[in-house]
Amino acid sequence: MDNQYVLMIFGVMAFATFVTRAFPFIAFSRSHDHPMLGYFGRYLPPMIMVVLVCFGLTGLEIETGGRLANATLAFAAVTIVQLVGRNTLVSILVGTGLYVFGIQGLDL
Amino acid sequence: MSHPESSDFAVALRDSSPVLFGYLPLGMAFGVLFQSLGYHWLFAPLAGIVIYAGSAQFMAVGLLAAGVSYAEALIATLLLNSRHIFYGLSVLDRYPKRGVLRWYLIFGLTDETYSLVTAKTPERQDSGRYYFYLTALNQCYWVAGCALGSSLQSMVEFDSRGFEFALVALFLVLLIEQIRAMNERWLLMIAVMSSVIAYGLVPNQFLLVAIGMCLLVLFWRWSRVSSHG
Repeated sequence: MDNQYVLMIFGVMAFATFVTRAFPFIAFSRSHDHPMLGYFGRYLPPMIMVVLVCFGLTGLEIETGGRLANATLAFAAVTIVQLVGRNTLVSILVGTGLYVFGIQGLDL
Repeated sequence: MSHPESSDFAVALRDSSPVLFGYLPLGMAFGVLFQSLGYHWLFAPLAGIVIYAGSAQFMAVGLLAAGVSYAEALIATLLLNSRHIFYGLSVLDRYPKRGVLRWYLIFGLTDETYSLVTAKTPERQDSGRYYFYLTALNQCYWVAGCALGSSLQSMVEFDSRGFEFALVALFLVLLIEQIRAMNERWLLMIAVMSSVIAYGLVPNQFLLVAIGMCLLVLFWRWSRVSSHG
């Protein structure tokens, strides 16, 4: 089939993705010690993390009460296990295990 | 860390392992979806190698199916990935200042890699090798997922329903660790409100709009703080 078309689309998308990732590094290469960047570097990541958590939640397709309960339970489990144990991997495995069990095992 | 020399790779392996559980099923989902187009299965892992952006690759399946022009693909990808413009702002001073390594790290700055890099404790900062292992391992997981999904699509029935929660859990855990070290926690409420507003107004551009609003508030806050000395 038209393999060349696929390769060209891949190339264009690879270029565009790299441009968006490289932009701040090029635009601010001469002012990386500006105090504003230090401020942003400190407070922007946790804010973006909140946004990413919310974004992830919107992708879970919570359409029924059962799914809402399942997601809430898994969310709480991750929070509690992390606050107590502080082991990233364990927290994620416990929460994801609970969630997958609810979706697949209980067929929510 | 007590043995910094030998353990850059080991630490990166441990730190990146949560991403493995998120990227493998997600990459497989992409591979399976991509195979529905009917191209050679090697194209799916190739996309993971050269594009390396989850949401953009899923969009690529739709673009290829619709047979869009190169210009349309360019603009759609720029818009979809424009949130990445803000990511670099907070890792500018962590990454090496020059060299091939620097450009590979920038190339590989996905949501998940960004999360791990910014969550890292200070003692590992400025370790270019550590960041390289972290970025490369994450990409390996992703490419492996893409290849598995597209090659084994017809042979294996892998039920990946529910595994999308792994990435939510990863972001949540990293958030908890960042909150511990943070003052001005009211900014987090701003981020929640930005998310709710963005979801209500423009769900298609959720990330861009929500992060954009956070950035505006942060800029306003900084200009106040800095003008008071």
